[in-house]
Amino acid sequence: MIYLDHAAATPVTPKVLQAMTPYFSRDFFNPSSPYLPAKHVREAYNSAKNTIANAIGAKGNDLIITAGATESINLAFTAIPANLKDSTTVLTLSTEHPAVLAAAKQFSHKLIKVDHTGLINLPDFKAKLTDDVIFISIALANNELGTIQPLSEIAEIVRQTRQDRYKRGISTPLYLHSDASQALNLLDINVARLGIDLLTISAAKCGGPKGIGALYASHNLQLHPLIHGGGQEQGLRSGTENVPGVIGFATAVSEAKKHLAGNRKKYTSLKLTLKSALSELDSIIFLGNPKHQLANFLPISLPGLDAERLIYKLEQQEIYLSTGAACAANKGSKSHVLTAIGLSDEEISGSLRISLGSTNTPDQIIKAADIIKQTIIQEYARIGLANIYQDRLKEQLASCEEGEPCEDRRSTGSIETNISKTNTRRIL
Amino acid sequence: MSKVFLGMSGGVDSSVSAILLKEQGYDVTGVYMKNWSRDLPGMHCPWADDLADAKRVAVNLDLNFEVWDFEQEYHNKVVDYMLSEFKAGHTPNPDVICNELIKFKLFYDRAMAQGADFIATGHYARTGVAENIINKQEVQLGDVISTSMEKERIVNVESSKNCQKRLKRGEARRAKGNTREDGLATGSLETNITTLNMGKSVLLRSADENKDQTYFLYRMSDEATAHTLFPVGNLTKPQVKQIASDHHLDVAHKKESMGICFVGEVGIKDFLKQYLPTTPGEIREQETDRILGYHDGAIFYTLGQRHGLYISGGLPYYVVGKDTKKNIVYVSKDLNHKNLWTDQITLENLHLRNNLTISNLSHFSNLTVRTRHRGELLPVEDGSIRQSSAKNLTFNLTKSTRAIAPGQSAVFYQGTICLGGGFII
Repeated sequence: MIYLDHAAATPVTPKVLQAMTPYFSRDFFNPSSPYLPAKHVREAYNSAKNTIANAIGAKGNDLIITAGATESINLAFTAIPANLKDSTTVLTLSTEHPAVLAAAKQFSHKLIKVDHTGLINLPDFKAKLTDDVIFISIALANNELGTIQPLSEIAEIVRQTRQDRYKRGISTPLYLHSDASQALNLLDINVARLGIDLLTISAAKCGGPKGIGALYASHNLQLHPLIHGGGQEQGLRSGTENVPGVIGFATAVSEAKKHLAGNRKKYTSLKLTLKSALSELDSIIFLGNPKHQLANFLPISLPGLDAERLIYKLEQQEIYLSTGAACAANKGSKSHVLTAIGLSDEEISGSLRISLGSTNTPDQIIKAADIIKQTIIQEYARIGLANIYQDRLKEQLASCEEGEPCEDRRSTGSIETNISKTNTRRIL
Repeated sequence: MSKVFLGMSGGVDSSVSAILLKEQGYDVTGVYMKNWSRDLPGMHCPWADDLADAKRVAVNLDLNFEVWDFEQEYHNKVVDYMLSEFKAGHTPNPDVICNELIKFKLFYDRAMAQGADFIATGHYARTGVAENIINKQEVQLGDVISTSMEKERIVNVESSKNCQKRLKRGEARRAKGNTREDGLATGSLETNITTLNMGKSVLLRSADENKDQTYFLYRMSDEATAHTLFPVGNLTKPQVKQIASDHHLDVAHKKESMGICFVGEVGIKDFLKQYLPTTPGEIREQETDRILGYHDGAIFYTLGQRHGLYISGGLPYYVVGKDTKKNIVYVSKDLNHKNLWTDQITLENLHLRNNLTISNLSHFSNLTVRTRHRGELLPVEDGSIRQSSAKNLTFNLTKSTRAIAPGQSAVFYQGTICLGGGFII
């Protein structure tokens, strides 16, 4: 098996599993119980929370443990005071995860534009950052493209806006939330340095168990619980603590931090191998922003092909990867991310997300590159596009060599909308 | 190479159909018909999973695959029909309508427009061509000779010697109290379906009598029948499952979808509640007119039904009638209640196959009729089929049977040949 979908789920590492195991049966006690063994569980829990918090430059008490990134995101939105709900606006990126978009829909909201690589359009952001904006949610790294947003720059704009509002006597608060669930094991995240108010993290994408996440919240805002009960997690998330989950989360985070630089180097090199092998396919488009992309992400598009077919073909050869979003054109719902960056329908239905991770070795990647390439060529041949398509593409590229630097546009993830449209439409 | 569009549902039957068609050398395009995708309270619609299953099988077999969206048409033609029938107090069968108007009409038309020679589905049924075979001693009238996967041949024996023999055998069987399963042992040669439709395509029950689905297919047009392949029609369900597991199909052990196209039988009431107002009413005992309890809408009850009456204790009650206008459901403890049994049935909205007329049918003998899917093949009283009003047909059964809810279909057979039927009034 060659697993190339680490952005969807990662295996729990042996070390994480080992750390968690005692807390299922031997140290099963409720951390709120009054006797000594339970107190020890409470201590382990708090210490694990501190470990997770420290990894993002925060303290244990700044974290609310949740059942995952989606819950954290929903909890973050409760920072908007009920009495201001009707008079204020929420800003998010058009490429945000459905959890953010759905949460934002409860409020009056605006979507910030991105460029063709998925990077925030800062002038558009500034233009939309009017005095009624109360809450901004921008993912640190996009879950389909791996595009990393300039969060420090965004936070600086937010800080200046706050000061400006203060000077002008406008009392509407302004909070910045970021969903960092894809980036915890690849980027050095420090909430203080970033200057953000809320941060969503999750264990499931960095070698920890599923169903455990956390929300960092600064002291300058007041959250409201979504789940009521015994008052755990500072009253913001009731329910008996998921002790093994938090222990696993902490272990995964420590491991990820320890190997941050090494992993980044490893994934960058694996990605390079894969990318240069796949570059031999004339029609391939590399999506996202190569300069600002998570080291393990390689989203691609094969215009004219049906990505789901490729997935089923590759699954037969025990290579597992996915489309950008789980449901593609067949289900009538196109990826909103790929739509937002301006891809054509043909480019969207031919798009795949390759995400590397701890399970991958260089040998695997060489083998995978070969199989993926062969499968793509076979599929182009099946629909009779093999030669025609590539010839047309070459023609197009040759004809614009004089003017626009087409090759450059391609390598920076730009879209040859015209080329693929004319080709595929005429041929199909 | 003949071009076939195969309806693929993601289930084992249509998946194995894909394997068989490919092995037989057809140029196959798999098509997922998207008829329904809405989740209902307590019911997750598995269409996306089914689509993925269908596509995976198609891709693994290297077939072309398409999704055809009939959701709007399905709603307009099938769901609306169903709702109006329920509102009228009937118990419709949406599968019958879905097959007639969606699968063997819209799907068929579109496939033909795209250059298909045939369409195919995973139904348990067969098609055949009625033809003469002279003096073949071993074959009998109405026998099905398997010649290819494409078309069976239905034999109309024209040897008088054979005919005599056969008649004798038929008499002997009747003397023993047996009715020939194919129903054709006796009867005049002039009045059977093969004589009337020489060279035409007929619809036949599947080889696996236990799985036969012609009850749902009797309204498909003759034209579609002539251009339809049922690749699993000659196989038994265990054989189909064996082929699936031999080919390592993930769907080999998939749970079969039950009942109508989009909701299981259990879900029908919840489904209806989404569309039809529920008005509580009385449950009365038929014999005494005593109020026994209350129901949430007479339209949700079916003749003969014994569940869901909210009456506790003692023997079970059965629905023996309902007054949809007054919203009253009548029940009885008497299993022998006259409303629960019948030996005379009237049909409306007939669909007789192969240009048959009521008059033709009235001259056929040894017909059988099926009043529910997988139900017993009930003998029709010879000569009892008659026109009862301008468009309706009435016939008698040789013995009484459990009552059939209005709106369900009755389907006639001569031997294994499906002659068509209509909706029970």
